[in-house]
Amino acid sequence: MNPKAVYKYCKHLGCCEACCLRYMGIKNPNAYENVANFVLKYQDEVDKPMRVIEQSQNIASKITDTKENLFDVSIREDLNNSNGNSLDINGADRKISNGDSDTNPPPSKRRKLDICVSCLGVLQEDNWMEGYVLVKDILFKKRYECATFACALSAPITTLLRERAITLRLADEFPGYDDKILTALKEAWKWSFGVKLATEINKTLDSGAISPLLITLNYDYADDLQELEILKQVSPQLFEERSKQKRRFVTEFTRRSVEQALQNASLQSLRAAGGGLACAGARAMCVGAVCTHAPNYLAGRYIKLSRHLPQSPWILEGKRVLPSSVQEIIYKPLADLYNLAAEQADGRLKLIAAGREDVDVRCLGEGRPFAIEITDPTRQLTPEELASACEHISKSGEVIVKQIVPITREDLIQLKKGEETKSKTYEAICIKLSHSKYDDVSPDSPIKVTPEDLARINSFRNTARNTKDTENNIENSKSICNISGGIKDTTDNLDNCESMHQDDKDTSGVPLRSPDNFGTVKEPNSQDVKDATDILDNSTPLKVKLADNPDNPNDDKNNEIDLSVNVLEIKNRETDAESDIVDTLKSDQNVLDSPDSSRDFLDTSVEVRESENRNNCEDIRIMIQQKTPIRVLHRRPLLTRTRHILELKAVEVPDHPQLFRMFVRTSAGTYVKEWAHGELGRSRPSLGDVLGAKVDMLALDVTAVHLQWPPQ
Amino acid sequence: MEYNILDSIDLNDPAIYKSFTERYFSKRYLLNVNGIKNNDIMLMFHSNRITLICLAPSHFFFKKNDNYTLNFNIGKVDRLSNQVKGKGKKGGQALFPDSAICKVEWGDKTAFTIPCGMRGTLVEINEKLVKYPQLLKESPDSDGFIAIMLSSIAITDATKKELITHEEYLKIVNV
Repeated sequence: MNPKAVYKYCKHLGCCEACCLRYMGIKNPNAYENVANFVLKYQDEVDKPMRVIEQSQNIASKITDTKENLFDVSIREDLNNSNGNSLDINGADRKISNGDSDTNPPPSKRRKLDICVSCLGVLQEDNWMEGYVLVKDILFKKRYECATFACALSAPITTLLRERAITLRLADEFPGYDDKILTALKEAWKWSFGVKLATEINKTLDSGAISPLLITLNYDYADDLQELEILKQVSPQLFEERSKQKRRFVTEFTRRSVEQALQNASLQSLRAAGGGLACAGARAMCVGAVCTHAPNYLAGRYIKLSRHLPQSPWILEGKRVLPSSVQEIIYKPLADLYNLAAEQADGRLKLIAAGREDVDVRCLGEGRPFAIEITDPTRQLTPEELASACEHISKSGEVIVKQIVPITREDLIQLKKGEETKSKTYEAICIKLSHSKYDDVSPDSPIKVTPEDLARINSFRNTARNTKDTENNIENSKSICNISGGIKDTTDNLDNCESMHQDDKDTSGVPLRSPDNFGTVKEPNSQDVKDATDILDNSTPLKVKLADNPDNPNDDKNNEIDLSVNVLEIKNRETDAESDIVDTLKSDQNVLDSPDSSRDFLDTSVEVRESENRNNCEDIRIMIQQKTPIRVLHRRPLLTRTRHILELKAVEVPDHPQLFRMFVRTSAGTYVKEWAHGELGRSRPSLGDVLGAKVDMLALDVTAVHLQWPPQ
Repeated sequence: MEYNILDSIDLNDPAIYKSFTERYFSKRYLLNVNGIKNNDIMLMFHSNRITLICLAPSHFFFKKNDNYTLNFNIGKVDRLSNQVKGKGKKGGQALFPDSAICKVEWGDKTAFTIPCGMRGTLVEINEKLVKYPQLLKESPDSDGFIAIMLSSIAITDATKKELITHEEYLKIVNV
């Protein structure tokens, strides 16, 4: 195959110089950058002098004449064919698509050779100015700081049809011509138009995989759809099927459908349908440019100090319920840095948080992990700007963000995963609203949280203890509480599990001391002791009865949870636990005497170390069943979910005998408030069930969201 | 910095001691339903339009001292087999203001039905009532609620407007 011959043939078909190179398989970007020079070596001597002043209209028409002389038979055939066949198709289409050839005008008018028959002018430099203007206009408005750009071309679909029409002819003319060598239109366009655009806009052209700034130019060609109509003849089956599935295929001609139709098209079928290479009535026009910058992502953690602040704007029936939100407070300085108006900020910034807390819940400790997605950012913010944004946010007094760092899109996976899998630690103030069923006092006496109540909470479990994990988890587990007068803002620390359980025992009341390794809270109550005995004598998978008291129907007397546990294991643990009791009994009294002593064993600060398998080998203390809370039931399905209380500890509140302070670590997705009050029995066993009393929650804080964030 | 949880709330503010139902629900009453004296129903509307069906404290049920059982088989439908799917609570039994949600059968073989008072979809029957029917008597406005229903915004709003408010109810009952 002689490149020169291919060049000449393409030229004859009516291709521009660049398209000739494309069909010749030239992949050298420089060739397209300087087409006029590069093609010289493929031109016949006759053509050369004219090439030099090609731009001039006069000469162009001379070329036309030359071309007409050189027209080979096949092209004439094409033209005739297209005439002949289009007469057979319906008249209206033919008139539009092949209008020129129908009227059989003189050759010079019939073929507008200044419009490339393949690219329809997209690669022809004379037509580029409108593209530059459109792009410059947008860049002037948007002012991207990005020094590089990638460009993308949205060309008329009929260029695909025309390419196929030409390669089929080439294959026919030059046996052995491989259409795979064709250089894609968009590539040739990038190497020619793109390079020129780079100098026009003073940015470096880069690949789309590298540069975040993408400039897309849209070209419209008036006869695009009419020309594609012939494909219905070429591939009738495809379009019949598509028209049957109108919902799935909204438009007839898409890039994909045209590619499919052309896949098996032959030169014969194309010719029979009209040739697919009608001469262009008008060139493709650059009608639009779109500039978009890939989103930037920022990561941080927010501390929420207000009990009157929702995470996102709370708007009810068009009116604001509360004046601000975490989202708006975080957006504000970022919007300012990007010069976004408030309304714009809403569309361009997106808060992605690892879950959310209720309006009246504070989020303390290290705060809740979040990310901000900035759509179409004009630039990357500097570390100084991010630091100043943090300062502004923290000035609100309601939200504190200590650090914001740029992250990648991939990092977001961790955040979302965290929402679903990571445990959370809470601190709450709870109130005992009725005497406990265990209280042995006159019904009229004041309701008090007794040491026995606290011990009951601190020792309750309805699952078998996972002893192995306790050891595995020592390094990984977090301190659930830090009660020496308040949550320090560094509270993100882990106590080890061992000490956690030690804690349980330490604060347990002496008479209620129970081997806290199994289903029932073993009280010195004959019924319960009997249950425990039953369990031990039973060698089949066990049914564990929850706190059992016939007097109080609120208890899930018959709520049995199947736990397939090997009885032998339980027996062993029973023994271990009993020896533990003896050890801890001595210290119990001391602990109860001094409320502050809890600090000694709770304030152990251990570096946070997140472990992926943490959740797999977690020691679950309480399994709870929660129905979808009523407060979200209107927008979520009704389901019963199993959730876990992993750590739980209650201490008294000095001077407030009816209150207790609770520290609890739960699995992701636990509704803590509902667990505390039981939500009309829809969440169980609730904290109230554990205590055998009515319990409610007065205040709730998230003290730790156990997720390593921002990623390192 | 320390943010003591005890300092974050005002323990003297009575608002924080509101019960679960007081916090989230507004109560509405239907009195002498179907012309039966003291056949009084209470609907508790959550701000998100979820509605709990309960007996009003003035219901004649509370005056009678007899054993009772609850029967959720109403004609051909078993209220307990109610199932809803998805966010839209599809498949829930349709309820009309007169539809019986439950039948109370006394030890003396007499019985009465509890109407649901509003058009909507049955979301959930309080299954605890099956095991602990005494809850209906002991805590009719909390754990002893009868059922959860969901209606359209229009119907919910209209019903809320139409029915007797808690304040009006207290006046009427005290007379």
